[in-house]
Amino acid sequence: MHRISLLRQLVTQLALIVVGFFVILPIWGMMRLAFDGSLIGRPTEFRLFPKVWAFEPFLRVLDKPYQSVDFAVILKNSLLVSFGAALIAIILGLSLAYAFARFRFRAQQTGLFSILLTAVLPPVAFMTPLYIIFSILQIRTSLFALILVYAAFAMPFCIWNMRAAFQAVPRELEEAAFLDGAGDFKTFFFITLPLALPSIAVAGLIAFLMAYSEFTLGWLFVDKADNVTLAMAIYAIVTNQYLGGAQPWSYLGSLAIIMSIPVVVIFLIFQRTLLERMMFGSVDN
Amino acid sequence: MLMNKHLRTIFHVLAVALVIAVAFGLRTRAAEKLPIDYDEDDYLRAGQEFAHLIRTSDWRGFLDTNYRPEHPPLAKIAYGLAFLHLPERALVSDVAITDSPAQYLPPDQLHAARTEASIFGALTAGLVALVNPLGGLMLAIHSFTIKYTSQVMLDGLSALLSLGTVMAYVQYKKKQRTGWMITSAVLLGLTADSKFLHGTIGFAILLDWFFLAKNNKDVKRFFKSALFWGLLSIAVFFAANPFLWPNPIERLQVTLDAVRVTTTNSNVANAGYVAWQQLNWLTMSVPWPQNGAFIFLADTFIALLAVIGFGRLWKKERVFGIWILLEIFILLVWRTKWPQYILIVTAPLALAAGEGILTLWQPVVEWWKKRGSAVPARGPERSEERRALPWLIPGLVAFALLTLIPLVFQFAISLTDFNSSSLRDGLNGGIWRAVWEGLTGQARASGFDISARSNQVNFTGLNTFSPVFQYISGRADGWSILYFNVMWTVLTVLLQCGLGLGAALLLWQKGVRLGKFWQALFILPWAIPELIGAQMWLNIFHGDWGWLRLAAEKFGADSIFGFVSSALHASPSLWLLEFLLPAIWYGFPFMMLAASAGLKTIPQEALDAAAMDGANAWQTFRAIVWPLLTPLIIPALIVRGIFSFNQFYLFQTYYFQDATLATLSYNVFNPNSGYSNVSGGYFAVSAVINILTVVILMIFVTLFNRWSRAGEGVTYA
Repeated sequence: MHRISLLRQLVTQLALIVVGFFVILPIWGMMRLAFDGSLIGRPTEFRLFPKVWAFEPFLRVLDKPYQSVDFAVILKNSLLVSFGAALIAIILGLSLAYAFARFRFRAQQTGLFSILLTAVLPPVAFMTPLYIIFSILQIRTSLFALILVYAAFAMPFCIWNMRAAFQAVPRELEEAAFLDGAGDFKTFFFITLPLALPSIAVAGLIAFLMAYSEFTLGWLFVDKADNVTLAMAIYAIVTNQYLGGAQPWSYLGSLAIIMSIPVVVIFLIFQRTLLERMMFGSVDN
Repeated sequence: MLMNKHLRTIFHVLAVALVIAVAFGLRTRAAEKLPIDYDEDDYLRAGQEFAHLIRTSDWRGFLDTNYRPEHPPLAKIAYGLAFLHLPERALVSDVAITDSPAQYLPPDQLHAARTEASIFGALTAGLVALVNPLGGLMLAIHSFTIKYTSQVMLDGLSALLSLGTVMAYVQYKKKQRTGWMITSAVLLGLTADSKFLHGTIGFAILLDWFFLAKNNKDVKRFFKSALFWGLLSIAVFFAANPFLWPNPIERLQVTLDAVRVTTTNSNVANAGYVAWQQLNWLTMSVPWPQNGAFIFLADTFIALLAVIGFGRLWKKERVFGIWILLEIFILLVWRTKWPQYILIVTAPLALAAGEGILTLWQPVVEWWKKRGSAVPARGPERSEERRALPWLIPGLVAFALLTLIPLVFQFAISLTDFNSSSLRDGLNGGIWRAVWEGLTGQARASGFDISARSNQVNFTGLNTFSPVFQYISGRADGWSILYFNVMWTVLTVLLQCGLGLGAALLLWQKGVRLGKFWQALFILPWAIPELIGAQMWLNIFHGDWGWLRLAAEKFGADSIFGFVSSALHASPSLWLLEFLLPAIWYGFPFMMLAASAGLKTIPQEALDAAAMDGANAWQTFRAIVWPLLTPLIIPALIVRGIFSFNQFYLFQTYYFQDATLATLSYNVFNPNSGYSNVSGGYFAVSAVINILTVVILMIFVTLFNRWSRAGEGVTYA
């Protein structure tokens, strides 16, 4: 195939610009709000650019974004919950994933089906029972409960993906270790696990992102301002605005941007791997 | 063999008779119980007028009589015939078309007219049963069809005649006898004389006929026959419509004026139905309390079966498939969205549903035949299972604790009436007590009542499932959450795939400038958390302070912004765009990446070979690119479909609570806020919705397993 002609290049670029405009438009809308220092409440007039360029909303948000709780506390909550959930999901799911990847046993297909099914359930489907169970156990409002909720939500997905990761480790390596006299556990910890670790980390990353950007379950479980995560804070500002709250909309904008930046960076770096994981292993390596 | 054939015929006849009996029984039952509905008084009065004319032998009167002239007179005359053996009653009063249904109609005449409608309805089901008894049965129990073929409506006769038209055409197609063609033309004319809308099946026949002729390279003869057929049906239409005789043009004008009034009156505007409302009606059972007139409320399942069986029906007899597609298209574009109009399509729909049952039945039959003959697959080795055990046990314990037990617990909740009022009891073991007592038979399952909130948990068994399913599949205001959820899934996935594939193909061309930059830019929406993306779009579309609204204020109502803004708010359906655009925005990058990954696997040689053979871009795409893409695109579509089906944050941000099952479940559950129709904190209802979600997602997962190799068992790579 030849390189495309100039005309085709032009038409292509034009089409790409249209798509790019569609992509950027809503993002730009939020940016404009975030950098507008003149906003007292919600925006009242149409503007393409901020009326008064200001960085102040960012500083204010980085100080106390929600109900006089420090940004550091909220960020800490977010990271704690997300890391905790990812870690629990990975560690607890590890052995099951390996079992499904390497051994044959009865009801294996049924098991796989259940894991995949639970992996695609909406978070709401876990929320109902966990809310009640944690209420019975009287731990519902703690951050630990939130960690468990997100872990429960992310675990089936992690199991599914770690299974694929283990499958990708060449069987011969394990057999060689086995011949050298290593038992199942030794082989797993010294051969298979280290080789699968990068893929497992990606599964963990996705679990982390799930918890990081979740807010509705959070608001159902948490009732103290001190236990709020970033996503929850954003949603709180939004609902607060609906009820006629007085915070400038620039806070919402800047918080949204602050929250998105790390995720966007992660996605740009790992796009191909994340795509594979999110397609539950349908992409060939 | 001959005996077998006779037996089959006897069985077929018996089946048809059975369907007619069931259909007639269900319809007369409904005719007795149904309250008086809109329009029944009108058609009853029209029938009274005709009965009077016949009784007094005033044949000239037929020329000027057609009460409610928006509809032709034939079906009304048929009602008149039913009144002949009854004493004459005072004319039902002439009221505005928008008035509420009449309080009182003469009982003997109402009974006679409704019985006549029931006979037409039962015969229609019988005709369908001639083609496929299962389809006949589906039509017999279809609640919307029952409703409008047991009330004094025009659809009973029209549906019967239109089905007759198509079946006569099918006979003509098979046997090539002119008699059948003439029968079909005559019936079509009569159909149009009963209700214009039903006459549109003529176009379905023409389309099928044309395709057939094109296949046989016999288009010329087709035009001749079809012209004769069409003219004959028009002649019959005029001959059997005495109202037109005195002055056809003027009388058609009267009709058109009346149609305009019925399609633009205040009731139509107030109903505020969405453009796809008819699909809501088609996928729900009759949602109004109708005095227990219906035994089966299974229309949703009939629609589902019809979707499953459509392909099979198309292969068997294409004209029924064309009928479904054409009439659904007409229902979508026709301005008024009253539910009785769906009767123009329920007959072929029931046929498709019958084929759907056969489609689902097939695997069962095959399994039954194969049973025993297959060699049992060798089970896994015992020793291997023993080796797997130390890995399985800890994992299973964790998986069970965090995932399975909550889901089982959820099922337990769904068997009770647990809600915010009984929270204290439930948290102190009330749920287990209620379920235990219920399952061991110590407590009877109580009925489910959304408005009652007991402060003690009670066992309801599966009693909650039916009302909740009725609610999500069809509400009294005509909205169907289930249908919207499915439509949303299909629409968004197709649009995301379209834009994603388009972008991927654009970037795949050789030597496109700035390719890396564009790709990175296009990925952004995928990376932005859904909550924030929804905020960004809300910031554009919000009715008070959205960018669009502010722009409309600044540049005036005549500007493009003003036009778009007011169009979005004035239309009962365009709001969908405010959700579709964000959904495309979120989802297309994923599809783009999946398509790009697929495009990279296409060997250059294949493309070069296609170019050498002189294939144009479209041919190359169809023959080479698309087939190689599907193994990646289809799993990606299903994954995106699952995301769309579960879509929650977008709708929650816009505060649209009736959009998806996930949104509904959350808002019904949330004890702190509430749901628009019932206040929140109804845990049991939310649990039921979640279980329905699980069942639906099982279908998705099964599809995914079929289309993707990712779900295969152990691989020894």
